[in-house]
Amino acid sequence: MAATGFEGFEKRLELRFYGDDPLATTTQYSSSPLGLRQILDFDSLVQVLNAVQCTVVSAVGNRYFDAYVLSESSLFVYPTKIIIKTCGTTQLLKSIRPLIQLATSSHDQDLSLCALRYTRGSFIFPESQPSPHTSFADEVDYINRHLPPSLRRRKAAVMPSNLTSHSWHVFTATTDQAPHLIGPGLESFYTVEVCMTELDRAQARNFFQPPGKGRNGDVAGKEMTKLTGISEINPGSIICDFGFDPCGYSMNGIDQERYSTIHVTPEDGYSYASFECVGSAFDDDVDDLVEVLRKVVRVFGPGVVSVSTTGATREVWAQLGRAMEGMKRRSFAVDEFPAAGTVVFQTFTAGRRK
Amino acid sequence: MAEEGQVIGCHTVEVWKEHFTKAAESKKLAVVDFTASWCGPCRFIAPILADVAKKMPHVVFLKVDVDELRAVSKEYEVEAMPTFIFFKEGKIVDKVVGAKKDELLMSIDKHAAKVASA
Repeated sequence: MAATGFEGFEKRLELRFYGDDPLATTTQYSSSPLGLRQILDFDSLVQVLNAVQCTVVSAVGNRYFDAYVLSESSLFVYPTKIIIKTCGTTQLLKSIRPLIQLATSSHDQDLSLCALRYTRGSFIFPESQPSPHTSFADEVDYINRHLPPSLRRRKAAVMPSNLTSHSWHVFTATTDQAPHLIGPGLESFYTVEVCMTELDRAQARNFFQPPGKGRNGDVAGKEMTKLTGISEINPGSIICDFGFDPCGYSMNGIDQERYSTIHVTPEDGYSYASFECVGSAFDDDVDDLVEVLRKVVRVFGPGVVSVSTTGATREVWAQLGRAMEGMKRRSFAVDEFPAAGTVVFQTFTAGRRK
Repeated sequence: MAEEGQVIGCHTVEVWKEHFTKAAESKKLAVVDFTASWCGPCRFIAPILADVAKKMPHVVFLKVDVDELRAVSKEYEVEAMPTFIFFKEGKIVDKVVGAKKDELLMSIDKHAAKVASA
C-alpha cells in the first residue's frame, strides 16, 4: 500500500428540489419543465465547480437531463435534481450553499430544496482529506450547519462490512411534507453505487496511456472505452468519456432519463474503480441490471466490491450477488433513511483474496 | 464574405435551407451544431466552436436550435445535444455527439483537409 496516492473513492451529493409553478418553462423538445437546467446556467455551474476545485472536460445533454464529465468525476443536472460526484481531495460539501442559493433565487421559477443525500465509501487515504472531509462526523456537522431548517428530518449512519476498507457512509435530510414535483417521475428510480478496489493489474493497465505519448482528452477516453469493453456494457447509451494523462478514466453514459458513470484510478497499490447507475422498479428487468454489473466486474477484475442500493426493493438487491462472478458475499447491512428509503450495503471478495 | 469565420445561426427553415444548399453547392465542409438554449453542454463547447470557425473560414459552420427547427432536428435524428453533423455536398460524412473538444477538432481537421486536395 502506497504511503499516499490519488483518492479514487468519491463523495456523492444529491439535492432534490420541488416547484409548484404551472407556468414553469417547457420547450417543445424537452417536453417537461426545465427547472434547474434553466436556472443553473452553465456560467453559474462553473462558479460552483470552481468552489469545489473541478472543471468540466466533456458533456452531453438530452431531453431529460445534462451530464458533465469533470476533472474529478461527474455532475448530472435534471429539472429538479442535481447529483455531483467528486474524488481526490475536492471539498464537495462546499457546493451545498451556492447550489441552494442559485437554485432557489430564480425570478422565473419557484424552487425549494426538499431533500439532500450524501454518501461515500471509506477513503483509502483519510489523512489527506481537507476540511470538512476530515471525518464523517465533521462532514455531518458541516451539512447540518449549511442546510435550511425546513429540512427537519435528518439521519446519518455508517453502514459497516467486516472489512475496515469498505464501509458506507450515509446522511440524508428531508422536509416533512411530501413534495409536489415538477418534471418526470424520477423519484421512482433506485440508485446503485458500486466501489471496486484491488483491480486486476493487467486490466488496470488499459487505463494507462503510452508513456510520453499520452494526452488528456475525450479521444483518449474513447479508445479506453472501446479497448476495455466498457462500450458493450450498455450499447444503447450515448457515452461521454475522458482519458487522463498519464492514467485514469472517466465516463458518463446517458440513455433516456437514465445515467451511468464510471471512474477509474488504475495505479497499483490504491487502484479503484466505481460504477453507478439508476434503475426503475417498474420499467426495468433485474436480469438486465445483473448483466450490466456482471460486465462491469469483468472489465475490472476487482479483489473487493461493495455495492450500495438506495430505494431498491428486495427483488433487486437480493439478485446482485449473481453478477459477482468468482466472488463471495462477505457482508450485508440494511437501514432506512428519510426520503432515500431503504439503503442496502453488501460487500463481495474474490476467491483469490485471503 | 461577412459570414465566413462565424457560426451562422439558422432560425427559420428557409434560412437553413438556403445555407445548407449554398454549402452543398460550394463543396465546402459544412459543420452543423444542433443545440438547445437550455442545454448546458452546448454552452460549454460554444466558445471552442466559435474559435475554430474563426480559424477555418473555408469551412461552413451552421447552428440549429432544436426548438426552433424541430422538423430539421427530427430529420437528422438528433437525440442528444450538442450533436455536430458534418456534411459534404449535402451528404452526411461524420457525426460527433456530445461536447467533445478533441473529437470535434480532429473530425473538422480530417474532413476539412479533404477539401483542399480536391
